[in-house]
Amino acid sequence: VPLPKLVHTSSFRLTLLYAALFSLSALILLGVIYGATTYYMTGTIDAAIESDVTELKQALSENGRDRLIVLVEERIQQMPNGPIFYLLEDAAGNSLAGNLPAIGPRTGAFDLNVPSLAPPSERHIAIHIHSVKLTTGDDLMVGADATQLVELKELILSSFGWCFAITLLLAVGGGVVMSGSILRRIESVNRTSRDIMAGNLSRRIPLAGTNDEFDRLAESLNAMLDRTERSLEGMRQVSNDIAHDLRTPLTRLRHRLEFAQRKCQSADELRSAIDHSITETDAILDTFGALLWIAQLEGQGSQRPFVAIDLSELLATVAEVYQSTAEQKAQRILVAAEAALTVSGDRELLTQLFCNLVENAVRHSPSGASIEIGAADRDGVVEVWIADNGPGIPQEARAKVFQRFYRLEASRTTSGNGLGLSLVAAIAALHRIDLALADNAPGLRVLLRFAPAQ
Amino acid sequence: LKILLVEDDPQTSDHLAQGLREDGQRVDIVSDGREGFLRATGEPWDLLIVDRMVPGLDGLDMVRMIRASGITAPVLFLTTLGGIDDRVMGLEAGGDDYLVKPFAFAELIARVHALGRRPWQATRETRLRVADLELDLLSRTTQRGGRGIDLQPREFRLLEYLMRHAGQTVTRTMLLENVWDFHFDPHTNVVETHISRLRGKVDKGFAPELIHTIRGTGYSLRAPS
Repeated sequence: VPLPKLVHTSSFRLTLLYAALFSLSALILLGVIYGATTYYMTGTIDAAIESDVTELKQALSENGRDRLIVLVEERIQQMPNGPIFYLLEDAAGNSLAGNLPAIGPRTGAFDLNVPSLAPPSERHIAIHIHSVKLTTGDDLMVGADATQLVELKELILSSFGWCFAITLLLAVGGGVVMSGSILRRIESVNRTSRDIMAGNLSRRIPLAGTNDEFDRLAESLNAMLDRTERSLEGMRQVSNDIAHDLRTPLTRLRHRLEFAQRKCQSADELRSAIDHSITETDAILDTFGALLWIAQLEGQGSQRPFVAIDLSELLATVAEVYQSTAEQKAQRILVAAEAALTVSGDRELLTQLFCNLVENAVRHSPSGASIEIGAADRDGVVEVWIADNGPGIPQEARAKVFQRFYRLEASRTTSGNGLGLSLVAAIAALHRIDLALADNAPGLRVLLRFAPAQ
Repeated sequence: LKILLVEDDPQTSDHLAQGLREDGQRVDIVSDGREGFLRATGEPWDLLIVDRMVPGLDGLDMVRMIRASGITAPVLFLTTLGGIDDRVMGLEAGGDDYLVKPFAFAELIARVHALGRRPWQATRETRLRVADLELDLLSRTTQRGGRGIDLQPREFRLLEYLMRHAGQTVTRTMLLENVWDFHFDPHTNVVETHISRLRGKVDKGFAPELIHTIRGTGYSLRAPS
């Protein structure tokens, strides 16, 4: 990733802000340490000098000027190289005693750099001096070695400088590294979006495998993309289905109308042709509606919340509705459902699902067949089965019957739009129902297992 | 009945209005949701027929606003093929009935008649009576000419619905929706079978016949005029 781009990322700016705040807090901390240390050390030096000055002034007032000179010389002898230095000058600036270079008349406190008295002499030392005017008109100067203080000040300042430099360096470096890694992750999202926009709908954002917030974001986005792709795929499928499979009945309808236009003589004949055409139109609209339903169920599902449904009662109603149709074919519908079974779902959709299955059984079983609708609770899993002793579905075709418009060769001649089982599959998927086709030896056994209630 | 039809497709609205007028209703047409709201709240109506998709203001929102302003006139929603949730959403918004386009015109007329007489039908009766046929809703018993009739629960619901709409035509779809709670066509003759079973119990051996078949439309239970 190029550097200018990095500098413009929000993470880089955040890092810089953080570094600035961190430096400020370090500055305050070091300032306090610096101030406290110098205050304490200066105070110690000042106190030592002051007590010496007071002692010498007292000696002057008690014993006179000569005694003062002797006293000063004694002290110098005791500690010729400091840490306390003395100088006694008369009013004209002549040195009477002392181991400091001539300074001239000055009063108050001041600092002075002098060559070291002790070898190596090229070393300079800093001396803090108090100068007082004595009653005799002489100037008494007492100084203390302040080299340590100066060195400490320098040490504090220079370490602060280093700290500051290192902090800034780490902050900028860290910012670059961090922004780089974040930018790489973001860039992979961007790249994926661009790919998808360019039409490659199956692209997904790669996961880093670190299970961090970026991975979680990528997972959500991928799930969203899956959903969208399924929706689009569903719509595309519907368009294809319409193009391929609705053309045939529409063509047939057109032929019928054309035929009526040319051949029908009487009003009765025309009315009959119109009746047939309306029936055929209704069948086409049914197919159309079923296609849209399947697409919606597969795409976005239903917005209605699931409710508790009395399954036993629902199955009894479905059986009742198909009873008379079955009787016309001399078939029997038996209900073998446990009482008071409850499942969670959408009543209308589940009714549609069971109706389609029973309708299929009635339609494809020969006369005299018996159809069983059963339901039972097996260790908390509600199972429903719809079994017939009709021709069944050969093993190799069982997966295909859920495809739209798929019809077994044998059933080409019976009515139906080839969407019943697709709708069943879509509704089952929405309800997380495990749907299986089995051999009823002879016949077909459809087994539905509801997901256990949470 | 004074009917307000909110429908934006001129061909559909002309077709519907013409049919309704032939049936003896007074129909006003508006093609825009906002205008529909103003007209619906501006004067009294016996029935509103509202297309779900109209410009200006969506049909659902329009009915929600009409209900919010205290209008209780029955609303019949019309919708094109499609949504799984459409019917429930329509009813939740304040609609009373729902019809998916395209529909047989007889279906619309039957529903218009059923909705048009809702106000006085809403009173809670405990006993329904048509000619000498009586239905007691509390004891769930039926009798005709003083003789008790034994009905299965479904047959009782069917007869109750027919009697509540006595004198009107009820369609097969209306029976499926209200007696069986089926909102799609199961492609069976369950309605026909139950009607014929009910006839066997209610009309057989009695005169006059009360349950009539209206060819190509549905059924009607009525006393001879």
